[in-house]
Amino acid sequence: MRRSLQRHWYAYAMVAPVVVVLAVLVLYPLAQGIWFTLTDINESSIANPVLDRPASYSFVGLRNYLNVLSGDGSYGAFWGTLVRTVIWTASCVVLTYGVGLGLALLLNRPMRLRSLYRVLLILPWAVPVFISAFAWKFMFNSQFGVINQLLGALGLGQPVWLGQTDLALVAVVIVNVWVGVPFMMLALLGGLQSIPADLYEAAEVDGATPWQRFRDVTLPGLRSVSGTVVLLGIIWTFNMFPVIYLVTGPAANPNTRILVTYAFERFFSGASRDYAVASTYGVLILSVLLVFATFYRRALRRQEAFA
Amino acid sequence: MAEVAYVSASRVFAGNPPVRAVDQLELDVADGEFLVLVGPSGSGKSTALRMLAGLEDVDEGAIKIGGKDVTNVPPKGRDIAMVFQSYALYPHMTVAENMGFALKLRGTPKQEIKDKVAEAAKMLDLTKYLDRKPKALSGGQRQRVAMGRAIVREPSVFLMDEPLSNLDAKLRVETRANIAALQQRLGTTTIYVTHDQVEAMTMGDRVAVLKDGLLQQCASPRELYDRPANAFVAGFIGSPAMNLKTVPLSAEGAQLDGLTVPLTRAALDKASSEGLKEVTFGVRPETLRLASGDEPGMELTVELVEELGADAYVYGSVRIGGQPERFIVRVDGRTPPAFGQNVKVAVRDTSEVHLFHPESGARLEV
Amino acid sequence: MSIETLQAPVVNIPVRHKRSRARSVGLHAALVLASLIAVFPVFWVLVTSFKPDGRAVAPTIRLFDESSLANYGDVLSGQQGDFLAWVANSVEIALLTTVIAVFLSATTGYAVSRFRFPGSRKLLLSFLVVQMFPFAVLIVPLFNVLLTLGLQGTSIGLVLVYCTTSVPFCTYMLKGYFDTIPADIDESGRVDGLSPFGVFWRLVLPLARPGLAVTAFYAFLTAWGEVAFASAFLSASDESKTLAVGLQVFVQQNRVEWGHLAAASILVAIPAVAVFYLVQRFLVAGLAAGAVKG
Repeated sequence: MRRSLQRHWYAYAMVAPVVVVLAVLVLYPLAQGIWFTLTDINESSIANPVLDRPASYSFVGLRNYLNVLSGDGSYGAFWGTLVRTVIWTASCVVLTYGVGLGLALLLNRPMRLRSLYRVLLILPWAVPVFISAFAWKFMFNSQFGVINQLLGALGLGQPVWLGQTDLALVAVVIVNVWVGVPFMMLALLGGLQSIPADLYEAAEVDGATPWQRFRDVTLPGLRSVSGTVVLLGIIWTFNMFPVIYLVTGPAANPNTRILVTYAFERFFSGASRDYAVASTYGVLILSVLLVFATFYRRALRRQEAFA
Repeated sequence: MAEVAYVSASRVFAGNPPVRAVDQLELDVADGEFLVLVGPSGSGKSTALRMLAGLEDVDEGAIKIGGKDVTNVPPKGRDIAMVFQSYALYPHMTVAENMGFALKLRGTPKQEIKDKVAEAAKMLDLTKYLDRKPKALSGGQRQRVAMGRAIVREPSVFLMDEPLSNLDAKLRVETRANIAALQQRLGTTTIYVTHDQVEAMTMGDRVAVLKDGLLQQCASPRELYDRPANAFVAGFIGSPAMNLKTVPLSAEGAQLDGLTVPLTRAALDKASSEGLKEVTFGVRPETLRLASGDEPGMELTVELVEELGADAYVYGSVRIGGQPERFIVRVDGRTPPAFGQNVKVAVRDTSEVHLFHPESGARLEV
Repeated sequence: MSIETLQAPVVNIPVRHKRSRARSVGLHAALVLASLIAVFPVFWVLVTSFKPDGRAVAPTIRLFDESSLANYGDVLSGQQGDFLAWVANSVEIALLTTVIAVFLSATTGYAVSRFRFPGSRKLLLSFLVVQMFPFAVLIVPLFNVLLTLGLQGTSIGLVLVYCTTSVPFCTYMLKGYFDTIPADIDESGRVDGLSPFGVFWRLVLPLARPGLAVTAFYAFLTAWGEVAFASAFLSASDESKTLAVGLQVFVQQNRVEWGHLAAASILVAIPAVAVFYLVQRFLVAGLAAGAVKG
């Protein structure tokens, strides 16, 4: 150990600040958050140094978990919400990946205006999310929104997009895909550019059709990038709070409620901000993602081993 | 200027079992000497060089430069310069900045750096390119910049890690000669790593052959060629490689198919004192010749003829103890045998054959 | 890997043939359509920002409808809240976040990329796990921590919180980028007389500019547009708000002033888009290295 310290002290020195910051601002709050899930803490029972009020919450064991996992409506109908969260995550990631890959393939060839297209297509990434949300909310408005005006001009129906129907979920998926495509596209474009050109030439010499080249050269070449960005995409989308909150909020819409927005709802609204239930949701989200990521990485490794 | 010494230096990589990349290396390099470390990939030659540079830990033993123990001195305190296989030029600096970087770090006055860089550039024919970035140079020019970067430092030891392997064949031969000449002129102790035995033989004052982290032999190129210490060195040095076959021994000598190669009394005594019935018999292609008339010789079926102009190499199989064995024979380039032909092969000079222990591979005669 | 590949990844060209005219038209048509979709929402906000509030919600849509710069004048003059103070706060916080996050993720990424020290793999894995935290629910504990450290209500407290969200991803990305810089360069620097820190500072950082640009961009955006933490951790007084928070309050209080909202949004978006424009040519190279190695 002393030897390792001696040899790697500069490595540790370079890592130390991050570790300290993460420990103080992530691990410690996390531990405290986990403790909260075992209590009945809320706004009126938390210690408040400003009012000089001591904490008055008490330990309740696993009651919060039992309440939440019972799927009771007054605790956010956990299972239904989980299903919606999975639907939301899956549709967002599939669409984002599909569109991102399509655009990356289109961009990965020499042509005129290539860099202009690239700049325009990445633009949504550069716009702060709350402004994108505002823009789309404005466009989705059922009376004066440009989308319905366009649909009307084409003689199609003019639905209420952001109402209390499943259409609202469709709308937020569209917004989230719009926000997420640039990152996906850029990462995949980078992946495409790292595939050696002679692989394509070899495939061509072997007589592969364009589709075969795509299936047997491009896709395997993208496997590692895809593995990473899809995992990140799933994690980010699962926890994507701002898009839903800003487009359909601030009054919560049960048709677009996912786990994390419910936690936030519980946290910030209601007569007594229910920190305990909100934290319980937080811990459950983290557990779901951890389990998923473990299986995902294992599957990925197996796939690589047998590829 | 300084001498270099490895004092049973080892590098052990953690693992199960631990890998001894360099094992108890014992090597003394004289001041001003050009020493080549040669070996196949994985032999530990690069690791040994990097230990000297301070880029690799020394797990056991010690390393000395100029008599001073530098085992725990960081690279910058060792007064060495290194040329990397990839050249490792700094892409964001011009050629002049690349060459002057080490001096700049040492706080050498600007004008002095400029003069030294200019002088080295002149020596290496780089003056025109001083303001270019490495990206804008050809492979050969980059190689020279890497050399220049080392020269400008005026270090006590040059370390070179396969500096020619990224050049094309013609340029490599040319640069080989240039480096050797430059080293003679500067008189700086040089340790040179290569996997190419031709480079090793043509450049080194002495050549150290490594295999699996162990030093096999360290000697002058001539000595290495004429008296290889074991079967590995015998097979590694020389191109095409020495014919090495395990053959039965008789009272007269080594029994090849249809040919008995007489051996010296000393060699036979040595073999019998070790109780050997077989021996690893080594003979270089140029020590073999085609037998004439009804002279005794091995029956060789020609499988391939490599014509090099002056010489030709005949590859063919000989049956030894019922098994076909591949032999290579150098013949006159003007009258090579044809493919499929059966020829008889004899030994040109029986004093030039090598005998090795069939198991340990160690050289037999004294 | 040779050194020159660092400079710009060579674009390989899968298709050597000349495209037929029809395919070329199709290709451009698809890209034009995609670009339109990408740009339109922003464009539409821009168009709306010039219209008076009443015209912005007119049931028939025109590009120009009594358009003027009046909304911008109103926003900048502070009619809708202390806009300029918000800008100053946002700039301060976003820049600090960028500098600190880039510095932290560069040192960490370098250490993980180059030194196989015990625990380096675990560290990387823990960064992935940190990405999974639903940060919204950490607000109360975080609030407590900041309070204890005396950082509650200060910009530096908020900056540190932003760093926890951006540093893990940035470290990942930079590690990938550093991996593409041959270790020979480091060693050459060591032999030339640099300390490990010197190698990092004088050789690796200058060579990692594309990676650093992406990192900076990401960190900047994280801080620039964030609402939840900013509204929880900064004091409620108007002059200490960030742009995002101020605008959010504005949205909630003034549901009808779409024209003014649009103008304010454009003002907020401009710096982000400017930063984006500065770094965009590095984005592909920088992001690729990070994601490919992942």
